[in-house]
Amino acid sequence: MSDQKVVLGYGDVSFGDELPEVIPDVSMPMVRRFGETTGMTYWRFTDHEKAREAGLPGAIVPGIMSQGILVSLIHRWAPEASVLKIDTIFRAPVVVDSRPTCRGVVTDMDDEKRTVELDLTLSNEEGETRVLGTALVSL
Amino acid sequence: MILDLHSHSIVSDDGRAKVENYCQWIRRKALSLDGFVLTEHRLYDDESDYRSLEDEFGLLILKASEVETDYGHVLVFGVNEDLRAALDFSRVDLPLQEVLAQAQGCGALAIPCHPGRTRVGMCAHIETRGLVEGVRIIETLNGGSRGEENATALALAQENNYHSTGGSDSHIVSHIGRCATRLATPVSNMDDLITELEAGRCEAVVWESEEWISPN
Repeated sequence: MSDQKVVLGYGDVSFGDELPEVIPDVSMPMVRRFGETTGMTYWRFTDHEKAREAGLPGAIVPGIMSQGILVSLIHRWAPEASVLKIDTIFRAPVVVDSRPTCRGVVTDMDDEKRTVELDLTLSNEEGETRVLGTALVSL
Repeated sequence: MILDLHSHSIVSDDGRAKVENYCQWIRRKALSLDGFVLTEHRLYDDESDYRSLEDEFGLLILKASEVETDYGHVLVFGVNEDLRAALDFSRVDLPLQEVLAQAQGCGALAIPCHPGRTRVGMCAHIETRGLVEGVRIIETLNGGSRGEENATALALAQENNYHSTGGSDSHIVSHIGRCATRLATPVSNMDDLITELEAGRCEAVVWESEEWISPN
């Protein structure tokens, strides 16, 4: 975690800044709660045993939950930010009850529009990127 | 000289990085990298001209391709009109044997990449269909592969005396330079790079503890 300050506006940001990293809660109770809220109560998200029988490494975190985790990273860093666009690539499953790390960095800035682009990643305990993406954020 | 031999820009369908941002990132983070090669998926980008970025940032930026074969993905260095006439880069089932032969015939160089990965890597296909003649160099360090996948690639290289390269396989800005290739002799263009790779004056390296380390 290289930068703990809360970003209030565009002037607080520099190219290469790292967002404070987050270890999100992807425990089974949390994923079940997310599933009940969104209607995504499928066994592949909520049942390790059935998921393994189907060839998955275990129950997996829903993609839209991973995307939500990435967006929450942005808002922890810059509470007033507007996320104009988020684009995610799901490279590999994020396993329920694992301990992933969510990171972001500033990779482009537009002084005129006062927007920044971010790289976003969700990595597992071995440091392997499971979900990656970019976001365009207005500050 | 350290070059990242495997990267993607927004020219690739799944690439999200602008080349200028790669350059800015390398300089802002003081990465010990002398340049990189853009290996766009299933095409050769002959429209983009990065010479002004090379001058501005003091980096070597070369262009190549990543094609898809019946033995997995393959980096092709030295793409020219003859090679593009001989191979349909947009296909996802190019015969590896043909890619290797056509590349050699056209003065280019084909290097199977991330061979340890399932489906898109060469090792799984070798298990069922055997080795392919003509492979001399493989990518043993890929920044997007898992540790055991890179270990599988390294074992394949050691068993068959293949030369090794490394590349980040970056699709986003902050992943450039995760792995790279150390060249014994500095190069300034694609022809020189191919000469060094063919001669085996290269090794795959990863940045650890403030220095480039070869896992070989």
